[in-house]
Amino acid sequence: MDPMAAIKQTFFQECEEQLVELESGLLRMEDGDDDLETVNAVFRAVHSIKGGAGAFGFDELVEFVHVFETTLDLIRSAKLAATPAVTKTLLRASDVLADLVRAAREGGSADAGAVKIIADELSALLGGAPRQDDDGKVSVDSLDFEPVCISLDSIFDIGEPEAPATQDFILRFKPAVGLYAKANETLRLLRELGRLGETSVECDTTEIPLLTELDPEGAYLCWTIHLTTSAPEQQVREIFEFVEWDCELSVETADVGKLLEALQESLEPHEAPPAPIAVAELRDTSVATDPAPTSFAAPSDDHPAAARAEAAKGEGSGAVQATIRVDLDRVDRLINLVGELVINQAMLSQRVSEAGLSRASSVAIGLDELEQLTRDIQDSVMAIRAQPVKPVFQRMSRTVREVASMTGKSVRLVMDGETTEVDKTVVERLTDPLTHMIRNAVDHGIEKAEDRIAAGKPEEGSLRLSATHRSGRIVIEVADDGAGINRARVRQIAVDKGLIPAEANLTDDEIDNLIFLPGFSTASSVSNISGRGVGMDVVKRAIQALGGRISISSVPGRGSTFSMSLPLTLAVLDGMVVTVGGQTLVVPLTAIIETLQPKKESVHELGSGARVIATRNTFTPLIDVGAVLLYRDEPIEPTSQVALLVESESGAKCALLVDAIQGQRQVVIKSLETNYGHVHGIAAATILGDGRVALILDVDAIVARPRADMIVADMPAAAE
Amino acid sequence: MITVRLPEILDIRAASPLAAELLHARGNPLTIDASDVAKVGTQCIQVLLSAHATWTADGLPLNVAHPSETLLDALETLGIPFTKISEQESAK
Repeated sequence: MDPMAAIKQTFFQECEEQLVELESGLLRMEDGDDDLETVNAVFRAVHSIKGGAGAFGFDELVEFVHVFETTLDLIRSAKLAATPAVTKTLLRASDVLADLVRAAREGGSADAGAVKIIADELSALLGGAPRQDDDGKVSVDSLDFEPVCISLDSIFDIGEPEAPATQDFILRFKPAVGLYAKANETLRLLRELGRLGETSVECDTTEIPLLTELDPEGAYLCWTIHLTTSAPEQQVREIFEFVEWDCELSVETADVGKLLEALQESLEPHEAPPAPIAVAELRDTSVATDPAPTSFAAPSDDHPAAARAEAAKGEGSGAVQATIRVDLDRVDRLINLVGELVINQAMLSQRVSEAGLSRASSVAIGLDELEQLTRDIQDSVMAIRAQPVKPVFQRMSRTVREVASMTGKSVRLVMDGETTEVDKTVVERLTDPLTHMIRNAVDHGIEKAEDRIAAGKPEEGSLRLSATHRSGRIVIEVADDGAGINRARVRQIAVDKGLIPAEANLTDDEIDNLIFLPGFSTASSVSNISGRGVGMDVVKRAIQALGGRISISSVPGRGSTFSMSLPLTLAVLDGMVVTVGGQTLVVPLTAIIETLQPKKESVHELGSGARVIATRNTFTPLIDVGAVLLYRDEPIEPTSQVALLVESESGAKCALLVDAIQGQRQVVIKSLETNYGHVHGIAAATILGDGRVALILDVDAIVARPRADMIVADMPAAAE
Repeated sequence: MITVRLPEILDIRAASPLAAELLHARGNPLTIDASDVAKVGTQCIQVLLSAHATWTADGLPLNVAHPSETLLDALETLGIPFTKISEQESAK
């Protein structure tokens, strides 16, 4: 990759992070957080994007960010109140910004109409402030004055009329520790200033302590720079663009500076160091905490600037953590290798036990330790892939905003547990099903405002998205406070579509779960929001593909809750190793409820060769795994077998007949699709300790096949 | 009289070792040979400033000998007079 592309990629990665910061800050503001630091964090996020976008020449992006930034600046300086309406606009602006960033990354272009609408709304917020017109120049007609021609020739004797007018600036610059720590260098900044024009630099060294007290990597110096240049102030400021959060900076034109200095002196004749009021705002976070933010005078305690900068970092966008960016491929290679290590370790243990060494022998003990270590390594490696679900959740807040504005509903999204971590693949593949469920909840779940008021509920609907860890899995819930599922209607539709027999006696839960059946869609008219030709069955399949399960519970008038339970990782699995027809298979442990030995009197034949087994007063379909996978043609006598009572993702129970149980162990999942191809009834493969390949059973596929034929037959049996 | 020879590279990573080395020499008249300096950052200059202040406070002489062009140029850019890091003017 050429260096420029690499830098660009880093920029876009950082953009993603900044966009997350931006949105979470705005959401905090929406929740009424009026802390200046929150506003500052939001401003910083937008500003950083602008800096990079400018450097890479993404003009469209820069133009929009500029208006956005200006609006935020007004809020920061308390010239514009962050009312709910304003934050709503800002949130939508952040959505547009995300689109623009994506467009810049992918080389496409964003929806110009949407960009224009938001840009105009932002400009409207700016009110009388100077607006940018299309070519990015400040348009004169929006300024509140009439241009008047004044001839200067009579006042000044200008020898060369074409010579650009020069201006004197006084810059006061105090770097914080962070500036040096981020590999910036005052020397370079001053040299760049020197290129703009004539400079005279004064360094204030009074803060330098004796060697014993010196932090060699501290920041003790501050500078006053007199600059005579033809460059505009903007250009002078740009030099400090990438360090402005790590320093105190004021830029004044000399005449204003002198005036202020004189004023200061007349007020405080005894104060020796000049402490002028910075005309330009100090873009330092200390504004939030410093009681006298306009003063540049060096404070008296030891490293106050550094301390403040650290404090601001700590309380602002979360403590700064040392992180590195690693290519995902490398992590995956590492995970693969650790997987091989686990397999290898298992093989080694097996060899040792085959060799007849006692469990107490030093080799066996060493192997136990090795096993423990291997597990630890595996857990640590898995933790590298673990990502908080926050980015996905935050994307949902955008979905809610969009769907709510399309349907004219007012919906509030409450998020819970966004820091819960789960495997990166799971996080990535959650977006689509979650988006669909959120759309569904806003479109169908939450009622229109008038209906809500009539039902005695608050006008604003509430949608709760939460993530929690529960017994080695992650549980994600989408709960709305809408009308709940209209069971009579759901049942009727299912009957009409032939999904269930008309006389079927279903529990409320069973009716609710009908919406996951393929071909079921409650929307009588296809809306362009949730009715995109995909039903909840697609959501269910997506979740199942992740090894998860989904269920719904609903209380009429109170709302519905979709709850998804997903594995934390897709790389390893706890399984029960079984023998079927001479083959070794692995059944995911999460699916198994119990194992039992079928007795002759508990097995009943149904007409069509199907069998059920009576367990705890219910009948459960009995499935011969060997027959399903075509390991044998002859039906087998259940009493000679072991039955695994399993529950599929849909909650359907089934008893799987296997020849024998070998034991439980953690296996490393090897994709069959990647290495061979999809096989029905098989989810993946693994390599056992003896080096043989064992197939991992796809319990859902095994259960679903007969259930599809039996769903009609099954119900009366359950009603018996 | 102790002589400390400054390394070629005086970037941020050199600041702590430099401070430690100079602190070690405290209590003696000191000459800092700066002829090798090819790269210097602001923080090492802070260390030199602090060292000079420390030796002055102790009433002992500290001189920077044979300052390289790089060092002199950096001091000039930063607006720091040579006499802030050395008792005697540069011999240059």
